[in-house]
Amino acid sequence: MEKNEKKSDLEATPHPRIYYYPGCSLMSTARDLGDSLFQMARLVGSWLEELNDWNCCGASPAHSVNQNYALLLAGRNLVLAERQGIRDLFVICPSCFVRLRTAEKTLIAEPDKNDLLEEAVGKRYQGSVRLRFFLEVGSASQMNVFREAVINPLKGLKGVLYFGCLLTRPEWITGFDVLPYEDELRSFVEALGVETLDWGYGKQCCGAHLALTKPDHVDTLVDRIRDHARRVGANCMISFCPLCQVNMELRGKNSEPLPVFYVSELIGMACRLPRTEKWIRKHLVDPRELLAEHNLL
Amino acid sequence: MQVDRSFIREVEERSGQRFGACFHCMACSGGCPVSDIMDYLPNQIVRMMQLGLRKEVLESRAIWVCVGCYSCVSQCPNRIHIPYMMDALRELALEEGVKIGEPDIWTFHREFLKQVDKRGRVYELEFMARYKLSTMSLFSDMGSGMKMLLNGRLELFPHTVKKLHEVRKIREVCYGKK
Ligand code: SF4
Ligand code: SF4
Repeated sequence: MEKNEKKSDLEATPHPRIYYYPGCSLMSTARDLGDSLFQMARLVGSWLEELNDWNCCGASPAHSVNQNYALLLAGRNLVLAERQGIRDLFVICPSCFVRLRTAEKTLIAEPDKNDLLEEAVGKRYQGSVRLRFFLEVGSASQMNVFREAVINPLKGLKGVLYFGCLLTRPEWITGFDVLPYEDELRSFVEALGVETLDWGYGKQCCGAHLALTKPDHVDTLVDRIRDHARRVGANCMISFCPLCQVNMELRGKNSEPLPVFYVSELIGMACRLPRTEKWIRKHLVDPRELLAEHNLL
Repeated sequence: MQVDRSFIREVEERSGQRFGACFHCMACSGGCPVSDIMDYLPNQIVRMMQLGLRKEVLESRAIWVCVGCYSCVSQCPNRIHIPYMMDALRELALEEGVKIGEPDIWTFHREFLKQVDKRGRVYELEFMARYKLSTMSLFSDMGSGMKMLLNGRLELFPHTVKKLHEVRKIREVCYGKK
């Protein structure tokens, strides 16, 4: 009986659907980010739905060796979204976001490229999809939902915001007004109780995929960044990109590792969302000691 | 040393950039996170193209080391898009079959794209194993891989795109039939 009631309840108030493009890393190395996002969406009463049959955006390798290939791989996802009647497509990974955005712009500006796409997938991209970065889920009012849901303010966490290279730049591709955007992220993180510290390394590159091919150099880059985070007194870092997060936790030789949280994990902890403990355990640098020290678990 | 005057025009065409605007202020190179391991700095590549040094540029290590982080793009007073230039140069290097400056990085890209062709998505576990096999570095870095596996951060089973033929067709359109 109760079950039925719940069901009709659901039908009566359809949950707004948020369509998203996960990208490959969300399915594996960044699964904790994925899990926490689902919880985050539930909190605002939305339903996260994957773009059906999405393919890899090509990441760095595709544009590195064949620009058309990168364009069409990303383009197929845009066409899928259009076919599925999706207006706003939220993208989780900053690097996928830049790939998809670049494709969107190029396909509209250069009709002969759109011809190629048509040849490959049987349809041109019409330009009706609005690509959004996942943190834009929060229209100002929805962000307030998160703010109000904080029951475990993360007092004691001192973090530096690590945007990485691609989150905000270049602005004529991402479409973000960089400074206000970064300020907003910072004030949001602060609303969760985290103290954010000033530092100059927020957009330094983590070395990206060179972690596999040039590990020594990436160690140096990570050491430099982490060392500066430590010097300004951080006890954790806050990351927005799956690749940065892994590199920051896994690489570096001469600086002491710091836990690196995704912003959605912070929301999870601050709002005591279910399964938080599960993501926390997936970290390569175990944050549990730090969290226990400040009674945050 | 061979001087090739058409080279820079080709790269301009492919990358949509105009290198005449560059005044070699080196802002791009100054902020480049991988300049330490480049044989030529980004603005030096521009200069070399202006001098028509086709072979030297296409065989350089710098064009492979660039990770496309866009730091240089935000620094350049003339909005010259260096990463697009790098993309175009790697494309040319592969098309012309020159000696690849950084074979491991090329292997990395190639193995990644094989995954895309096979399933439309990347199965990281297999990708890493194959990369390690082809570079004969199987046992280096095992520790971190194992750590990710044990922490449940690598997928145990691959996912495949349903309409894989569309992804394959994309490859065909871009690379020609094989
Ligand atoms: S920043 Fe721009 S103008 Fe300055 S050297 Fe680099 S490409 Fe040339
Ligand atoms: S995009 Fe390439 S050349 Fe430019 S700063 Fe980044 S790594 Fe250096």
